[in-house]
Formats: sequence, structure tokens, C-alpha cells
Amino acid sequence: MKDEPSERLDPRAKVVWRISGALNTLPLLAGAGFASFVLLRWVEVSVLVGILPVLAVLALAVFSVFVAPGLRWRRWRYEIRPDEVDLQRGVWWVSRTLVPLARIQHVDTRQGPLQRRYGLSTVVFHTAAGPNQIPELSTPIAAEARDRIADLTREQDEL
Amino acid sequence: MSSEAEPLLHLHPAAMVIDALKSVRRLVSASALPGIIVLFSQGLSPLTIFLVLLGAVVLVVLAAVWGFLSWRATSYGVVGGAFRLRQGVFQKSERTIPLEHVQSVDTVQGIVQRVFGVYEVRVETAGGGATEPDASLPALSRGATEALRREIEGARKEPVDTEEEAGPEVLRRLSVRDLLVAGATSGQIGVALSLLAVGSQVFDEFFSEAFFRDLVDRVAPNALVVALILVPAVALVAWLLAIAGTVLAHFGFTLSRDGDFLYIKRGLLERREATIPLGRIQAVRVSEGVLRQPFGLASLRVESAGYGEDAGVSAVMFPLLPRDEVQALLREAAPEFAVDPPLNALPRRALRRYVFRACIPAVVLAAAGVLVPLLVFDAFFGLLSALLIPAFAVYGWLRFRAAGWALEGDRLVVRSRNLGRVTVVAPRRRLQSRSVLQSPFQRRVRLATFETEVASGGGGSALEVTDLGFEDARRLVEALSSRVSIKKSGEERPA
Repeated sequence: MKDEPSERLDPRAKVVWRISGALNTLPLLAGAGFASFVLLRWVEVSVLVGILPVLAVLALAVFSVFVAPGLRWRRWRYEIRPDEVDLQRGVWWVSRTLVPLARIQHVDTRQGPLQRRYGLSTVVFHTAAGPNQIPELSTPIAAEARDRIADLTREQDEL
Repeated sequence: MSSEAEPLLHLHPAAMVIDALKSVRRLVSASALPGIIVLFSQGLSPLTIFLVLLGAVVLVVLAAVWGFLSWRATSYGVVGGAFRLRQGVFQKSERTIPLEHVQSVDTVQGIVQRVFGVYEVRVETAGGGATEPDASLPALSRGATEALRREIEGARKEPVDTEEEAGPEVLRRLSVRDLLVAGATSGQIGVALSLLAVGSQVFDEFFSEAFFRDLVDRVAPNALVVALILVPAVALVAWLLAIAGTVLAHFGFTLSRDGDFLYIKRGLLERREATIPLGRIQAVRVSEGVLRQPFGLASLRVESAGYGEDAGVSAVMFPLLPRDEVQALLREAAPEFAVDPPLNALPRRALRRYVFRACIPAVVLAAAGVLVPLLVFDAFFGLLSALLIPAFAVYGWLRFRAAGWALEGDRLVVRSRNLGRVTVVAPRRRLQSRSVLQSPFQRRVRLATFETEVASGGGGSALEVTDLGFEDARRLVEALSSRVSIKKSGEERPA
């Protein structure tokens, strides 16, 4: 097993993750704001205790907008080899997954609205046990990766 | 529909009755509650009784007509290499399943079907829905069932198997004694207990609060005695229910094999016959439940692709047999899975992590037990729950000792314990993806978690080894690579 797969995701991935991280904390922030309001207004705790929920969510937001995307991007690597797709990911739990091309049933590329804005796509490939994905590749590279996986899968089947 | 060019067949006429009963049941269960409320609020005047009876008659007539219409609209057959099912009274539908996609032809004989001597036939495909069979024929006669099965399986079987023309060979039958033992040790007491809880809630609805208050008043002085009687009594009833459940599901369990197919027959009231093509089996699980392991007993399950329909029970390959006869049965039933190599144990340094992980809930409990009572009453309960910690530590040690893995020929063997001990055997060519996972804590002590998946039902089922040496995990991932040698592709690949 090689030490690390060779390819990285598109650097714009970090921007997309920052934005989606910020968007994801919005509902949490609303919830925390409500909790703080309840604590201060009705439970009548001291101000320091009352703003704890909001502070906690803000800390989480700072982490998921400014810290996590960088770490995640640095860890995320992939490589499409003639017999296997090799993935490495995870900020905290690092996981390394090998998917034999012979087991891949079909491949798609996907693009969310935010991804479209930045010209990124996600490659999703399915085995009989479920999907795996390579997120945030620039759209032409994603299309190339998809076609490459599909071609290699076909070759494997013929063997 | 005789004007059709294709020779599609109709179901057995009993299908009309079965269908009618189904719609009656649906309507009754939908209207029962409002109906009862109306009845009780209006009182039982002759008029209401007449109306109810009239409603019932109309209901039965409608259901019968509907049953007839849907019987007439339903036809099935094997045409041009595909199974076809046509149904629908108003909205017609026609389903075509190419024969090579058919995974199995199963039969279920519910009580109604038994009265008419017919079978419900389910045609399952690989990758089919997890909850519904892909095509279900509610009533076929024995002859029609066999004919359909022959037509579908005959087309699928390669014409090589001349030696096995003798029909299915019975590999093992579950004796009544074993059936009872299986029920008694099934460990499904939990399930039965929750059933009892639901039952008691229904019970609540029927008795007034005053009744309970009175009961509590009388019982309260002797609460301890009552608890001493009640708890074992409830446990006993739950246990008996668990036995009854097993008996109903597994009565007359018979495993037989015919060439490339395993056949399973079981059931007391509802008789089921399932087919498992050997080629679809992804993994075999040998489970030794907590109650069974001391007696050296085990049960066998299969993970089979696209075999989702009530996966819990239908995946049982054999419900109870002595541990040391498992290999013999597997050699006859599914030889590819008959391996029992000595397993590689986990490194010593993993033990600490196993014990630590097992203790977390006990520590949390004890901490809560100390903190909460300090605020509310005394610390006695907190100390009591601290006593749990050694018990959980022992549990962690047991899990550590059970865990292990081996690579025997082309087959991966993985063992682990939650409560019971489970050994999974999966051939390398069935493994879908392989992962090495590592947390920061594991990284510090050079351990990792190995995980792989086989297809099962609609999705995947994971095989995991937690806390094996990091290098071992990487070597294992490497050794399971298809590059190392799939014999077939190795020969044909140029250089």
C-alpha cells in the first residue's frame, strides 16, 4: 500500500466548504439564540451562563469555517489506479479506502448549486454495498475521472 | 384474456378470496375505531344494528367483486426469456423481469393459503426492494408453483448438472428438541419484553385509573414481595413468548441443497420456502449467542445480495446446531465458506483500549450517580453504580479476547463480540471496498480499525476488526487487493 494517494481536490473546495459550513451553522445559531433568550428571560440565569449556547455555536462556526476546511482539504487525496480507486480523508478519524474497479457498478458526477457557482463537481461511484465519492473536483477533471473509472470498470469486467 | 397472443396464466381462483379478505381487513381496520365510537355514542338501537349489518354486507360484496376483478386482471407467465406479471383493474401495469435477474422464487403459505392448499409465490431479483418482493403472486396451486419454478430456474441453471437430477438433498433438519432449545436460548427476551410493554399499555386503556390507585394502595406495603414475584413472572412470560416466536418461525426447519441452490423450508402456521442461489451468498455468519456459547451451540446466517425481504429471519441458514458441526454442514451446503482457521489475535496494547471503551458508559453512569444524589439525596447509589465498572471492564476484556481475523486462502475470517460471539467468513471476491481507519488515539499506539463491506439486501453489511496493529491493517488491505491474484484474471492478463 502506498503511503498516500497522489491527487488532491481542487483548491476551490476550501471556499465551497467554508460557505457551506457557514450556512450549516445558521440554523444552529438560531436555535442557540433562542435557548439563550429562554435562559436569560425566563430561567433568569446570570448573563455569563445565558450566552453560553451562543458562544458554543460561534466557536463551532469558527472551527467549521476557518479551521476544518483547510485540514480537510490537506488530508483529502485520491488516486484512480488501473485496478482500484484509492481514497484518503478525515480530519479527526483518518480513513483510507480502496475500492476495486471490478466491483464498481456505475459512476455519476453531481453538482450542487454552490458547486456550480465555483465550477466544481462530485464524482460518485456505486458498489453493491453503497456509494463512495470524490467531492469537489473541477468540473472537467471530474468528468475525466468519471469516464476513466467507467472505462477501467469495463476493462475489469472483460478480464 | 384468451385473445392475447402470449400464453399468460391466471392465478388460482383462491386469489379472489385472498384478495377480498385483504381488502376487507384493510377497510375494517380503517373503520373499526370510528365505528366503535359512533356505536357507543349512539347506543344500540335496532336501526344502528341494521345499518352496521348492511354496511358489512355491502363491504363483503364490494370486496368480493373487487377480488374477482383483480383476479381477472392479473396474469403471469414466462415469455421470451422474461417473467411477466400483468395486474391492475383500473390502472394496468405490466412488469417484466429478465430471467437472469431473478434471484429466487420463494413461497409463503399463510393460514388462508393453507385452507385452499395454495401458495403465495414471490419472485425476487438481485438488488430488489428491501421491504417488498419484486413480484408477488398471492395464490398458485402446488403444480403451478412447481411449473413456474422449473421454468425460471431451469432457464437459469447451466445444463451441466446431470449428476444432481435426483432433486434436492436434505442436509439437515431441526428436531423439535433443538427447536425448543433454540427458542429458550434465542436471547429474544428483549423483543418479547417490549411486546409485553405494548400489551400492558393496551391493558391500561381498559382499566380505570381508580382501579390502579386501589391496586397500588393495596400493594404498596408489600412492594418488595410483589416486585420479587412480579419481575420473575414477567421475565418468565417474556421467555415463553420468545420460545413461542421461535417455534412459529422455525418449526420444521429443513435445509436442503440441489446443485447450485439451497432450499429452506420452515414455519408452523405460515409455511415458508425460500431459495438461496449459492452464487449469491456474500458471507456466512456463525453466531454464538450469550446463552448458547456455554452449551457449544451456534446459528448460521447468510448475507445474500438482493435478498432484502424481512432480512432478519429469511437470512437464517440454520437456526441451531452444535458449534463443532458447523464446518461439516458448511462443507456440504456452501463449501466455499467452510473454513475455520486459527485467528490472529489483536496485539496486547489493544486490550487497554477495549477495556477503556467498555468502561465509558459505566464511568458516566457512576459519575452521574455520584453527582446527582449529592444534590438530591445520598451518595449510596453513586457508589453502587461504581461497582459496575469492574463488570464493564471484564466485558471489555471478553470483547478483546473474542476479536480476531485470518486470511485463509481467498477467504477473510473476522470474529468479534458484542454480546454473542460472531464469526464472519467472506471470500475476497465478495468484498466491495476495504478501509483502514485511524483515530488520533489509535495513531499514538500504532493501532487501526480495518473495515470492509459485502453486499447485503439493498445495501452493504460491514465486517470490522477494531484495534489491530496499523501495519497489520495495511498488509491486510494489500493482501485482499484484486491485483495480488484473482486466479482467473491472472491467467488472461497480458504480462
